[in-house]
Amino acid sequence: MSAITPESFSKRSFVYRQLSDAEFSEVAGAAQAADMKNGHSQALKAGILDLSVLPRTGFRGLNAASHLQAADLPVPAKPNQASVTDNGELVLRLSQKEFWVLGAVADLGAGVDAVNQRGLPEKDCYALYNQDSHAWLTLTGAHLPAIMAKVCGVDLRAEAFPVGSIAQTPAARINVVVVHHQINEIPCFSMLCDSAAAEYLWVSLLDAMAEFGGEVIGSNALS
Amino acid sequence: MSHATRLKAPMGLLIDRTKPVSFKFDGKSYQGFQGDSIASALAGCGRWLLSRSFKYHRPRGPLTMAGQDANTLIQLNKEPNVLADRELVANGLDVQGQNYNGSLDGDRDAILGHFSRFMPVGFYYRSFFKPLGAWDKWEGFIRKKAGLGVLDLDFQPEYYDKAYLFHDVVVVGSGPAGLSAALKAANAGASVLLVEEQPILGGSLTYNRFDVEGEQADQLREDLLASVEQHANIEVLTSAACNGWFADNYLPVIQGKRMYKVRAKECIVASGSFEQHVVFRNNDLPGIMMSSAATRLMKHYAVKPGNRAVVLTGNDDGYLTALELLDQGIEVAAVVDMRNAAESDAIASAVKARGVEVLTGHTVYEAIPTRGNKHVRAVDVRRITAKGEVASQSQRFDCDLLCMSAGYMPVYQLLCQAGGQLKYDDTAAEFSLSKLPKNLRIAGSVNGVHGLSEVLHDGERAAIEALHTLGLANGEVAVEVNCKRRVNFDWPIFSHPKGKDFVDYDEDLQAKDIVNATRLGYRDVQLVKRFSTVGMGPSQGRHSALPTARLVADATDRTVTETGVTTARPPFSPEKLAHVAGRIFDPYRRTAMHHRHKELGAKMMPAGNWQRPAFYGKPEERDACMHAEAEHVRNKVGVIDVSTLGGIELRGPDAAEFMNRIYTFAFLKQPVGKTRYAVLTNEHGVVIDDGVSCRLADEHFYVTATTSGVERVYREMMKWNAQWRLDVDITNVTSAFAAVNLAGPDSRKVLEKLATDIDLSPEGFPYLAYREGHVAGIPARLLRVGFVGELGYEIHVPSRFGEALWDVLQEAGKEFDIRPFGVETQRLLRLEKGHIIVSQDTDGMSHPGELSLEWAISRKKPFFVGRRSVDIVMAQPQTRKLVGFTLPKGTKKPEEGHLVLSSSDSSADITGNVTSCEYSPSVGSIIGLAYVGIKQIEVGSQFPIRVDGGDVVQATVVDLPFFDPDNARQAL
Repeated sequence: MSAITPESFSKRSFVYRQLSDAEFSEVAGAAQAADMKNGHSQALKAGILDLSVLPRTGFRGLNAASHLQAADLPVPAKPNQASVTDNGELVLRLSQKEFWVLGAVADLGAGVDAVNQRGLPEKDCYALYNQDSHAWLTLTGAHLPAIMAKVCGVDLRAEAFPVGSIAQTPAARINVVVVHHQINEIPCFSMLCDSAAAEYLWVSLLDAMAEFGGEVIGSNALS
Repeated sequence: MSHATRLKAPMGLLIDRTKPVSFKFDGKSYQGFQGDSIASALAGCGRWLLSRSFKYHRPRGPLTMAGQDANTLIQLNKEPNVLADRELVANGLDVQGQNYNGSLDGDRDAILGHFSRFMPVGFYYRSFFKPLGAWDKWEGFIRKKAGLGVLDLDFQPEYYDKAYLFHDVVVVGSGPAGLSAALKAANAGASVLLVEEQPILGGSLTYNRFDVEGEQADQLREDLLASVEQHANIEVLTSAACNGWFADNYLPVIQGKRMYKVRAKECIVASGSFEQHVVFRNNDLPGIMMSSAATRLMKHYAVKPGNRAVVLTGNDDGYLTALELLDQGIEVAAVVDMRNAAESDAIASAVKARGVEVLTGHTVYEAIPTRGNKHVRAVDVRRITAKGEVASQSQRFDCDLLCMSAGYMPVYQLLCQAGGQLKYDDTAAEFSLSKLPKNLRIAGSVNGVHGLSEVLHDGERAAIEALHTLGLANGEVAVEVNCKRRVNFDWPIFSHPKGKDFVDYDEDLQAKDIVNATRLGYRDVQLVKRFSTVGMGPSQGRHSALPTARLVADATDRTVTETGVTTARPPFSPEKLAHVAGRIFDPYRRTAMHHRHKELGAKMMPAGNWQRPAFYGKPEERDACMHAEAEHVRNKVGVIDVSTLGGIELRGPDAAEFMNRIYTFAFLKQPVGKTRYAVLTNEHGVVIDDGVSCRLADEHFYVTATTSGVERVYREMMKWNAQWRLDVDITNVTSAFAAVNLAGPDSRKVLEKLATDIDLSPEGFPYLAYREGHVAGIPARLLRVGFVGELGYEIHVPSRFGEALWDVLQEAGKEFDIRPFGVETQRLLRLEKGHIIVSQDTDGMSHPGELSLEWAISRKKPFFVGRRSVDIVMAQPQTRKLVGFTLPKGTKKPEEGHLVLSSSDSSADITGNVTSCEYSPSVGSIIGLAYVGIKQIEVGSQFPIRVDGGDVVQATVVDLPFFDPDNARQAL
C-alpha cells in the first residue's frame, strides 16, 4: 500500500481511481503514479502513464509566441508541431496563436511553474486552463501507431507522424491532442483530452493496448 | 470415421498430420487433421454429402473448396450458415447439416424436386398474391420451409473490433500477380499491404498445375514467398477478405474478429478469377466439382477427390488437372474437351500418353446419380453438334468424380464497386474490366492475363504504374502485357428436356428458369435477378453471373456486353453485423465528484454525455427521495454537483461589447463583482439558452450555459465573432471547472467554516454578487444565485480540486446535517420558484414574450442576436403563453408533454402542452408549467389537461412563483 495516496491531496488526477495498485509520489502538490511494479521494459514494450497532475500551461493570442520566446522556450515554427526544451518541457503549437507548455517529468514540472510566474503581456495574450480542462495520458513503447490505429483514423506511423508532430483528431470518438515525442529515448504519444472524459479514454486505450501486452506504468518506468 | 485415405506429402499444404482432430458431423464422429476445413476432413473420411439445396433439397457436396459457394453451408452450435470449406475443424466441434426434414441423408423434403415443374421461376410471386388473403395463409408454411440454419437466441456477445491500416500500396490477392506486384512495389521502397483470403499465400500456385511436369508452381511459390515473407516493407494479412472498395481506396478487410479499415494511396487488385461450371443435367451431384476444387482437395488437404474421374473442360487446364489426378493415383476415364482441339498439343499429348481417352468437341450431357442423388456414378457424354446442342448418340463413362471447367470469370466485384465496367469479348468469350478509377489497378487473371509468366509480368506492370504515382518508379516504364491464351469455352450450356441443369446452385435455378424469366418480359438482367432470384444467394453470382448473362443475351437477341451482369455491392463475402459494429465507442463524461455520488447511492441519469445524480436512494423510491431532499434544502442545507453546467470565458477589450451583442440583457455596464441573468436568442428570436454572466474584471466575463447547450452557445459565439471581428478571446472552460450549489438556510454557516478570506455577510456578499477567494484553501469563484430559491452559493473551482471540494463541504456540513440532492430534486425546487429550464420548458418556437422574459431584454441597446425577430414576433398577436398551474393533491398528475385543450369537449382543440409538473411538498399541491392558449392565461381561470388514459383534469392558472413569492429566502 502506497504511503502517499491521491486523496491526501486536494488536487487529484482525473483517473487516479484507475491506479489502485500504484506506488504514488508527490508531484506539484498531488499524487502521481510512480511505480506499478513493472518498470522500464514495460515502458519500452507498451505502457500507459497518467501525467495529469504534472504542471502544464497554455497561452493564446497574438503575443503568445513572443511571451514564450521571452521565457526562452523554443517556439515551433508551424501549427501542429512540438518542440522540446533542454529540460524536457514540451512546447506545443496548436494554431498560429495557441501554445501549450507541458512540464518535464524530470523536474516534476518546475519549469512550467517558472513560466506561469512570469507576467503576461499587457494585451493579446490570454492564459488557458489546460491544467484542468484537459487530462494528460501518455502511451509509451514500440507499438504506438498500431495501438492508436484501433481508436483513431489518422496515420500515426513514424513516416507520417515523426517525433515533434501533433495531431488534433478524434480518438475513440472524443477530441484529443496527440503529441509524438520521446522521454529518455522511449517513444511516447502524449494525449491531452477533455478531463471529464479521461476515465473513458483511459479505459479505451487500455483495451486497445491489451493485444500488445500493454500495462499501466508509473513515471519511474521512464528512467 | 478415420482419415486413412489421405495422399502422401507434399500433398496437404494446409494440414499437420501429426495433430489429429476429432469432431462430429450430424451425430457421427469423424477424424481430420489440424488445418483441415470441415469439408476437407469429411471428404477425407469419404463423406461427400454436406448439405441440401435451398429449394429442391437436392444433396450437395463440395463445389469449389474455396468458400465460394453455398453447397457447404453447415450449422455450428451457435452459428448457422457456416462455410464448411472455410471453417477449420477443431477437437470436439459439433457440426450439423441444415435445411432438411428428417435427416441430412434421408431428407423427406427431397420429394420437392419431383414437383419442380409446378414451381417455375417466379412461382412465389405469381402464386400467392391472390385471392386476397392467400399470402396470409401460406406465409407461415413458406417461412417455415424457407431460411437456412437455426439462430442461437442465447448467444452471448463476443469481442469484435476495428483498426486502421495505412500503406502506400495495398495488394488484394496473393497469387502470382499479387506476389510479383507486392515485391516490385516493396523493392522500390513502398510500404505494401498484401491481403489474402486463404490461409496461405500463393493463390493458384498452391493448387494449380501450370506445366506437364507439375514442378513450376511449387518452385515459383517457394521463391516468391521467400522474398515476400522476409520483406521489411510488406505486411501480410492471410485469411483476410477485402470486402469492399470505397472512394479513395478505403478498404474494409475482415480478418477473424477484426475489421481493418485500410487506407492506401494505391490499390492493386489481383483477385484472380472464379472457375466456372458447365450447365448440364444433374451438374450439382456430389462428386461433381470444379477442377480447381479437386486440385485444392489434393494439394491443400491431401484428400483424394475420387477413384475414377472424368474431366470436362473448355481449356487446357482440364488436361493439367487430369495429369495431377493421375499423379495422385486416380484413374482418369476420359478428358472431355468441349473444344475441337486443345490449345497446347504438348499438354494434350502428355495426357494421351498416360492412356487417357480424350474426346474433343464433346460434352457431358447428363450426370447419372447413385440412388437418392447422393453421388455421381457415371456421365453421359455426347458430341456437340451446335451451340448448346448435342448428338443423340451417347457414351457412358462410369466415374465417382467429375471435374469441370468451362473457363473463368474475373473476380470483378470490388472493381465494379469502384465504378469499373465489364465488357464482354465475343472472341475470347471472356469479360474484361475497364474505366477503373485513378489509383486502382488490376493484374493477373482478373485482368484477362492467364499465362503464368505473363501474369508475373502483369503484376510488375501494375506495380510500376502505382510507383509512378508514388514517385518511386525511378524511371522504370510500365509495359503492357499481352496474353493470347484463351481459357473460356463460349457456350458451356447444354439444356436438358428434363431440367436439373443448374445455372445457380444457391437458388436451384435451371437454364430454363432464366430463359423463361426473359419470356415473361424481364429482359433486363437486373429484373431477371429480382424475378428469378439468380445471384441473390450466398455465392452472389460468382458462378451464375456469366451463364445468366449469356442466356439472357441469347434469349433477348443482344450481346453479352449489352446484357451485362447485375450490380456488385459490398460486402464481397458474408460479414457479421459484429464486424460492422466493432468495438463500440460510446464516450461518457464524468464530473470530478462522480465517484462520490456513486458511493452515496445516487441514482444516476444521463445529461447529454454526462452522468448526473438524479437523486440519492433507490430508484423505486424516487418521489420519496426527491421530496425528502427538497425539504432538506428548504429547511437545512443541501449540496448539488453542478459541474456539468457550461462555462465560457470572454476576455479582451471588447468582451463587454461582445456580451452585449450576443445576449438579450444589457452588459456594458454590468458591475465587476456582480452576476446577471443572460438569455440567448437565435436569429429567429427563439430562446435557445440561458445562464449567468459574472463580470470578473472590466475585460473579463465568465458566463454559464446549460449542460446540453454549451457547445452550441460556444459555436454561436465563435461564428458571430468571425463576422464581428471584436477583440475578444472566447474559451469553453466547461471541463476546467467543477462546481457545486450549496443551498439552504444553513448554507452560509457551512461556508463560513471554510471560506475565511471572503466576507460572507449579507452585506459583504449580497444576492447576485460574485466573489473570488478560497474554500478550504481551494481557489474558488463564488456566485450568489437563487435557482432553487434559497440562500445559496455556486462554488466553482478548478476541476482537479472538485472531489476535494465535495469532501470538505460534506465534512464541514456534518454539524448542519448537510445532504446531497440530485437533478430531479433541483428541478422540483426551481419549479417551485417558477424558473424555466431551456429545452425542457421551451421548444423551437418559444420567444421571450411567451416565457414572460421581457424583463431580461434590454430595449435600450441597438442590437442583440435575434432582436429584430423578437421585436416582430412580440408585436404580433400572441397565441400561447407559458403559465404556472396547480392541481389539488391526489389529482391524477399530468406528465411532461400532456396536452392542454381548449375545452373539456371530446372535440376540443389542442392549445398547448405541459412542460414541467411535480407534486410539491412545500406548496402542498401538484404544480407545473404549461403552454396554454392566449385566452387561457388569466390567473384563477381553469384549463383542461388530457392525462394518461384519456382522462381530463382541470388545472388552475396561478401567479409565479409557487413558493416564497417575495423571494425573501434567496436574498437572506
